[in-house]
Amino acid sequence: MNLTVNGAACEIDGSALTPLLDVLRDELGVTGPKAGCHQGGCGACTVLVDGEPRRSCLMPAGYAEGAEIVTVEGIGAPEDLAPIQQAFVHYYAAQCGFCTSGMLLAAQAYLARGGSDDHESIQEALAGHVCRCTGYAKIIDAVAAAARGDSFDLTTTAVGKHTTMATGGAE
Amino acid sequence: MKVVGARIPRYDGVAHVTGRTTYVDDVRVPGTLWAKALRSPVHHAAVTKLDTSAAESMPGVHAVITWEDVPLLEYGHLSALGIPADEPLLAKDEVRYLGQPIAVVAAESEQLAAAAVAAIDVAFEERPALLDVRAAFDPDAPKIHQWGNWYPHFENEMDRRQIRKGDIDRAFEDADTIVQGVYRPAAIEHAPIETQVCQVVPEPDGRLTIYSCTQALYFSLGVVAAHLQQPLNRFKLVGGTTGGGFGGKVDTATETVTCLLVLKANRPVKWRWTREEEFLCSSTRAPWHMELATAVTRDGWILGQKMLTLHDAGAYARFSPYGLTKHSFHHTGAYSIPHLHFDGYVVFTNRVPTTAMRGFGVTSVSFAVETHMNRIANLLGLDPIEIRLKNANRIGDTSPNGVSYTDPSTVDTLKAIADAIGHELPADYRTMTNEPRSGELLPEHLVAQVGSTEGH
Repeated sequence: MNLTVNGAACEIDGSALTPLLDVLRDELGVTGPKAGCHQGGCGACTVLVDGEPRRSCLMPAGYAEGAEIVTVEGIGAPEDLAPIQQAFVHYYAAQCGFCTSGMLLAAQAYLARGGSDDHESIQEALAGHVCRCTGYAKIIDAVAAAARGDSFDLTTTAVGKHTTMATGGAE
Repeated sequence: MKVVGARIPRYDGVAHVTGRTTYVDDVRVPGTLWAKALRSPVHHAAVTKLDTSAAESMPGVHAVITWEDVPLLEYGHLSALGIPADEPLLAKDEVRYLGQPIAVVAAESEQLAAAAVAAIDVAFEERPALLDVRAAFDPDAPKIHQWGNWYPHFENEMDRRQIRKGDIDRAFEDADTIVQGVYRPAAIEHAPIETQVCQVVPEPDGRLTIYSCTQALYFSLGVVAAHLQQPLNRFKLVGGTTGGGFGGKVDTATETVTCLLVLKANRPVKWRWTREEEFLCSSTRAPWHMELATAVTRDGWILGQKMLTLHDAGAYARFSPYGLTKHSFHHTGAYSIPHLHFDGYVVFTNRVPTTAMRGFGVTSVSFAVETHMNRIANLLGLDPIEIRLKNANRIGDTSPNGVSYTDPSTVDTLKAIADAIGHELPADYRTMTNEPRSGELLPEHLVAQVGSTEGH
């Protein structure tokens, strides 16, 4: 079976019925998607399959053959964060971080289809993603800011070299 | 204040948003075996048979452990504070809650480990279960714990946490009315998105490296070492990255058993609970049963309060005596009540053992006290914020356990709440501060309770 993960072609042994999540984590070592419940309930395992958010714990790997699979690792690196990642850092939208990968990818898909900063629409796009730390408000604020194309000065929120980064919309 | 309200760097923020944070389940160790537990299918039973030989002889099964493999079977979570132990790491001749671990298997895969668990020959003789704290005191209640149905080891071997302050009988005699209420918040599962998990790796020098999601690293280190009867330096704990805890990862849920499996199999082992196990067998916030009787005057002074608390520990004590102690110290809420009579019991039931969760023992009593305050205000026809401000803690007032407050924030908080909800306060309430009581705010019944702030 051949999968394309974050732009890289990967050849996989094993059953096409293995959950995509297990293939990503255990065979490919792509650990961004998390096994929060293994039953499609929490959203932490969400990846993009041809741009659509999918619960990788419920999707047999064979179903993703030939598709473009994008995990959180594929939307932006630490030194080159995507606008939605910058927004999450700016708004402290990740607390423990365990739901964050799935939240980010659902948000990324929402932005890609032209989603607005309307809080109700964002809530609908993120429905089914469970977060136990934040109470969701900061996450929704972050997605709304990214949807508006806000710029973020991460000088004080992200340590290291991620200090003044160019951002999405405004530039 | 340099930090409150400021934008401060988040050291793990970028790692979180790029999938680079390494949680326990992300640690990759070649040759790792999977652990699975045989758990009690019933609330309360005698274990009449336990034979693991069929599971042990299955190809790909590298270790099966039961109570016989634990060097020190019982070690209490508060043993380090001198509180006796009551809970076996793995059930021996009885199970006291549904989901209690009896045996744990390490095998080449998760599926194989589950098959080996199914191959364990176990039999139970079911016993009546006790699931409601109130029923624990009934003469014909099932006896479920070796210490009786409630914890008997508070200071001086008292069977309750007791507070007596002032002259409660006089307060009730002087009252215009007594307001009663019963409050019963239910158990709450912490439900972190990361389930209980650990990965243990045997090192060439014989030490064990434990990747742990614990919220209490050094605490877990002590618990593991005690059960295994080995010195602390045999263990290296790697932790600090937790996928949500909320108190539910203070107990040492997986580390000790996984270490025993590693020692028996001489292979790395991972034990990751399923979501079902997390809900079924991981600790919860305790359910409480709280009864309040409050002696009040017509104009809203609280003269005294009697309280009975039943704290549901579940099947074993764990941290519950500590939680109840905190509960007792906070049982007047943010208010000054001079005459108190408090009895709190840590009650055993056949529920999953309960533990810390966000304000251990205190959130329950806050819920009761604040709901009760509204009830008092409604009954007396008084404004719910004004009655709170009147009785609010002030400098020099003393807590139930006799601590004199040096800078209580109740008055400011209540005024901010009134402001936030657009609640108009009369001028004499609007100008209140937390300054020591005097004049009309120091009625006769409060004179004796005001303490000295010296020495604090």
